[in-house]
Amino acid sequence: MSTTTPDTNVTLPTAGPAMPGPAIRQAPPFATAALRVFDLSLSQMLWSRRTIFLGLVVGSPVALGLMLRILDAFGFTGGIRMGGAPVPGAAVFGSMIWLLYLRFLVPVLGVFYGTSLIADEVDDKTITYLFVRPISRRAVLVGKYLAYVVTTVFVVLPSVVVLYLCVQPLGHGSLAEGFTSLLIDLGLLGVGLAAYGALFALIGAGIKHPLVTGLVFAFGWEQLALVLPGYLRKFTIAYYLQALVPHAMPADGLGSSLQSLFRDIPSPAASLSVIFAMIVIFLAIAGWMVEKREYVLEQ
Amino acid sequence: MTGKTRYFLVGSALVFFVGLSIGLVAYYGGMPQGLFASNSGPAELKFVPEDAAVVAYANVKQVMSSDLRQRLRQFGGPTDEGRNEFKTATGIDIENDIEYVVAFMGKRQADAAANSINGLVLARGQFDQGRLEAFAREKGATIEDYKGKRLIKPSVNDDKLGNKHERDLALAFLDKGLVAIGGDAMIRRLIDGAGASSKTARDNAEMMKLIADQRDASMWAVGQFEAISSQAKLPQEVTDRIPPITWFAASGHVNGGVQVMVKAETKTDEAATNLRDIVRGFVALAKMQAGNRPEAQALWPNVEMGGTGKTVSLSFGVSTQLIDAMTPKKRDSGGTPKPAAPKKPETSEKPAK
Repeated sequence: MSTTTPDTNVTLPTAGPAMPGPAIRQAPPFATAALRVFDLSLSQMLWSRRTIFLGLVVGSPVALGLMLRILDAFGFTGGIRMGGAPVPGAAVFGSMIWLLYLRFLVPVLGVFYGTSLIADEVDDKTITYLFVRPISRRAVLVGKYLAYVVTTVFVVLPSVVVLYLCVQPLGHGSLAEGFTSLLIDLGLLGVGLAAYGALFALIGAGIKHPLVTGLVFAFGWEQLALVLPGYLRKFTIAYYLQALVPHAMPADGLGSSLQSLFRDIPSPAASLSVIFAMIVIFLAIAGWMVEKREYVLEQ
Repeated sequence: MTGKTRYFLVGSALVFFVGLSIGLVAYYGGMPQGLFASNSGPAELKFVPEDAAVVAYANVKQVMSSDLRQRLRQFGGPTDEGRNEFKTATGIDIENDIEYVVAFMGKRQADAAANSINGLVLARGQFDQGRLEAFAREKGATIEDYKGKRLIKPSVNDDKLGNKHERDLALAFLDKGLVAIGGDAMIRRLIDGAGASSKTARDNAEMMKLIADQRDASMWAVGQFEAISSQAKLPQEVTDRIPPITWFAASGHVNGGVQVMVKAETKTDEAATNLRDIVRGFVALAKMQAGNRPEAQALWPNVEMGGTGKTVSLSFGVSTQLIDAMTPKKRDSGGTPKPAAPKKPETSEKPAK
């Protein structure tokens, strides 16, 4: 590390008439600060290595849908069949939304992006640069969270629309028939991404190894609690999301059968209220944690 | 925000809104058929009007060459009589000339005049137009050009004096290898509508959904139940007791045996439950009737009832083994009649006084 010695030739300012100094910059308000962090984080998030993962995960169902559509166009599929019975495109699309997107993609994206909002900055030792700015730490978290929501929504929702165009007409289903379900699905996926993102942002802000904890929560706790009788399922996000799903839940798996045994689905209004409350509470706690916590950067 | 990010967001939003717009246009009924729709069923459906009450299909080649037909012929099932009759009337040999047929019945059959035919059969195959026209002339039919299509109108000899007159039946060559046989008025309407942008069965989403399920079937029929129940002229007591059925579909896959599937769609879930109960009752009754016939008992394991919500389905398979088991019995009963048993002397049993 180089050391600097004072330059003896430099003339120091002497006392004289008072000159107008630079104006003291006021700290921007919370919303402006959050939007600045959002602007900065969006490109970082979108063009990171995670985007390759995101592309693969979101691209797989689309590729599957395209393949089915092409095979159908050339008459190779002979119709999609389950247990020998033909299945219309609407049912295939509904199953893909339920099993692939809601039960897998949304939690996975929430875990991978949500837990990294603060944890990545800590790992890269760049969090200092954000925290020394004259902005609230909560604004940093909220800005990054907004960047996560925009990134995932702008990747996932167009893929769902493409999947709908590919799969819905199979088995002579009609686009018109599934349009209202599509709108609900899109809203539902947006809400799901926001909810899981908020939860895993909280885990990322408060726990040392958030990725492992997030994965255990998403694919351990959530799956288990949903099939257990009693009130435990109320401590999952999937419970409230499944109440909003317009498609019938596929009843071929053991898990689905168990769920149907203990089914008490809350009303859509109640589910939406709980999910929005969760988002606000998780973000508020995460913001408070980021504000209070002292991040020690390992050398 | 970098330029790259901006382009990505704009591109993504564009895909999203274009997709949604397509869905929205479809939702309001403006999507041209075939653009995103999956083309199910035979191509001849483009000739079937949107309001057809019943549409049927039969893969003649598959059925004719199937093991089932050969086995049935062995014990005198289907004969060549009907085939020869058709050949005499139209000059078409069903077994060799026709690949498959599509038939439909118009919705207004009940209102139609008694002698007018409101249905049509479209046969796809290899037809020698010249030979068929010559054959028709020989039989006294009249041939005319109607909007560039050849229309053959057979004359019939139906009074005792031998007077010939034209009847409503007509045969037209719609395309290369496609022949339409049916009511004269219907065929003319079909030729008129072929060039226009009139709606076809492909625009009937409910019917197409049922047709799409019949991909593997050798023959099928789908349609509105009301159309056949009104034709059947069932007693009022019976029609009152049948749950309200909207659509039906029946299909058969013929190979060594035959796999039959009958599907009905009711107006409500409750009606479907009632129908399931009725069908279950009939199946049980038939099972009971067949209790002492081992060959019929062999049929029962294949009878399956299914369907959820408004749908009721029943499927069963007749295996080649069953056909073989029934064959010698048929020969016995139909071939050499057994001598009649001597009648018992009638005795009037009067109470002893």
